[in-house]
Amino acid sequence: MTKRWLKLAAVPIALAFVAAACGSDDESGGGDTTPASEAPAATDAPDDGGDAGGGGDFDGATVTITGPERDDPSIASLNDVLGEFGEANNINIEYTGDADWEANINTQVQGGNPPNISYFPQPGKLADFARAGNLKPVTDQVNETLDEFWLDGFQLYGNVDGTQYGVPAKTDLKSLVWYQPAAFAAAGYEVPTTFAEFTALIDTMAAADGPKPLCVGIESGQATGWTYTDWVEEMVLRLHGPEVYDGWVDNSIPFDDERIQEAMQAPVDLWTEDNVFAAAGSIAATSFADNGQPLVDGQCYMHRQANFFAGLFPEGTTFADPADDSAVDVFYFPDINGDKPVLTAGIFAAAFDEDPATMAVMNYIATAEYAEKRQAAQTEAVGGGLSGYLSAAIGQDPSVYQPLEQSFLSILESAEIARFDGSDLMPADVGAGTFWSEGTSLVNGDIDVSEAASRIQASWPG
Amino acid sequence: MSITAPLVNDASPGGQPGDEPSGIIDRVYGFLRGIPTGILWFIVVIWSIPTLGLFVNSFRNRDGQRGSGWWNVSPSELTFDNYDQIFGARSGLLRSLLNSAAIAIPATIIPIAIAAFAAYGFAWIDFKGRKGLFIATVSLLAIPLQVALIPLLQMFVGGAKYTVPLLDKTITIVPDFDLAGTTTAVWLTHTGFAMPFAIFLLHNYISSLPKDLFEAARIDGANHFTIFWRLVLPLSIPVLAAFAIFQFLWTWNDYLIANTMIGANASQQPTTILIANLAGDFGRNEHVLPAAGFVQAFVPLVVFFALQRYFVRGILAGSVKG
Repeated sequence: MTKRWLKLAAVPIALAFVAAACGSDDESGGGDTTPASEAPAATDAPDDGGDAGGGGDFDGATVTITGPERDDPSIASLNDVLGEFGEANNINIEYTGDADWEANINTQVQGGNPPNISYFPQPGKLADFARAGNLKPVTDQVNETLDEFWLDGFQLYGNVDGTQYGVPAKTDLKSLVWYQPAAFAAAGYEVPTTFAEFTALIDTMAAADGPKPLCVGIESGQATGWTYTDWVEEMVLRLHGPEVYDGWVDNSIPFDDERIQEAMQAPVDLWTEDNVFAAAGSIAATSFADNGQPLVDGQCYMHRQANFFAGLFPEGTTFADPADDSAVDVFYFPDINGDKPVLTAGIFAAAFDEDPATMAVMNYIATAEYAEKRQAAQTEAVGGGLSGYLSAAIGQDPSVYQPLEQSFLSILESAEIARFDGSDLMPADVGAGTFWSEGTSLVNGDIDVSEAASRIQASWPG
Repeated sequence: MSITAPLVNDASPGGQPGDEPSGIIDRVYGFLRGIPTGILWFIVVIWSIPTLGLFVNSFRNRDGQRGSGWWNVSPSELTFDNYDQIFGARSGLLRSLLNSAAIAIPATIIPIAIAAFAAYGFAWIDFKGRKGLFIATVSLLAIPLQVALIPLLQMFVGGAKYTVPLLDKTITIVPDFDLAGTTTAVWLTHTGFAMPFAIFLLHNYISSLPKDLFEAARIDGANHFTIFWRLVLPLSIPVLAAFAIFQFLWTWNDYLIANTMIGANASQQPTTILIANLAGDFGRNEHVLPAAGFVQAFVPLVVFFALQRYFVRGILAGSVKG
């Protein structure tokens, strides 16, 4: 009996050995997968700031990076830029664009298998991980590089409780309205410079028997509703100013406050049937990405969306080209009190370990050279149009940006009141949860504004 | 119609008045017999329509796909651009197909090997606690694999160690093989979770083999290993093939386990994960998905058609005793 048991036990044990052997085979065959923390640490950390080509040598350490950007042009440009830097410094950098980044980063961190660096589109999430001790603060060297290339206002959102974790890697400008200058000229409309002019223009357009004034669609898969939250953020900034905005973001001014409710109601009042063209029939069913085609086709006059929307216009669209009647241009989403507030967003890189190779990559991401090279590579990847990328790093060669993109940058640089996308700063349960879903219900007319506001407020954690 | 009933030869068509009733009956019978087949064909057509639509769309460009339904297709707009794009240099589709194979093949063969031994043991070796052990194994079917994913990943990342409370001594239960982010971690997980079902299915089949065979083999002096190798294995080919098809399809099409175990490691990603990321930010590249879906589906189709005659036989496995 004992002998038989031994025999039976031998089979799984033998198989386990086989498995283990195969495991190490796979690894040497299929690319180095050891986390960089176990790779031999570089003895000579480069001291030449973030200059790519400055010859640091990290013995082929692997640095994995994940992020939500997974477009061909984005991936191509990121691989180009990071690959070049990696080659010069003997670091093997792998970037993975992840369709389900928001969920997967949680799994990876919980399972103890995070990437070395991740790009965070939501500073709120970055702060959560930093407070939980999963992220590592940047080194002094990276901090110096940050001070050299970034204004404090942009560094701010990578800073958690006084410690710098995030490095800005991309900047978005949201307060823009896309329109066709030729269509405006043909109908005799002027670009509005105040919010009152803007609403008056909408009324005029709606009364005229032509294209609808606005294209609006807030569908975006799991993130349906984020376009609405952007509008609310713009309205809070415009109606009540930055102090109220900041208080709202940290919930010292609750959602059911009258001022916030007023801002939540404002877009809904604008989005009447007469004012809006929604390609899929209703605003909540229309993909926000599908608003480019009707604008070019002349089914609506205006579309408020961030600078990256340039990439969502149909192929062959020209931008800010007076010679082309179908060219698309932007104007600043007008303000109410004359203080010209600007709504921004962006992506921050943050590191999950303090390996010298990881920090060298972080340092590089903080430089203007990274931004410049990525912009150049991405412009090339989209075939010379607007790249969809933007960075507010100081000291970039302006010639890599097209005139329209340069005007985005000058709006960003000159803005006295710039505020980061509030829903990205709020706790994920609200900013990437109820604010989206209850906002969508409100747009649909299923609930009224006070109901939506109190439901969102009730979901605020803590 | 009457040709189908040659025995009633005098009822052959000829216009004689006496034949009419049986001619009608034959016709009605033939018609009724055609109904199930007709319904089956109807279901097949309905079931295939989405796949057909996907196939047609995989040859249309973005504007075509977004602008109109696939049934509005015109031959002039068909293009191979989508396939060109996904096989392009940057996409890494070929690498991901190899990774998928590196996951699906071991994850199919290894569970079968282990489960066949186990099923034979449970069916024909009389040992203490056999029934209890078998029930315990099969009841593991009820455990949702999702709850075990993160603990498993933690084990793959750092191994499992246990510190004995008072002795201050640490025992390594599972050594740190550093498997996180490799295809090995994925097929090991698949192997583990496939085991209860594999043992259950194979046990049902193997235990229904006639007892006389085993007794005859015993009398001829065969031991358990010989019986298993020379008798049980050849007789079980249908069920092994059936399980192989199930398991291959499941592991080839798996997203969740691969996504958890491989995480950020792009070089080891299988095709399912690659395809999920192909759509691009805000679905800008959605139009390549039908093409990518067909590339992904091609391999399982080959496997299925190669093994399908076993599939039909094996799906009855254990359902009829005799």
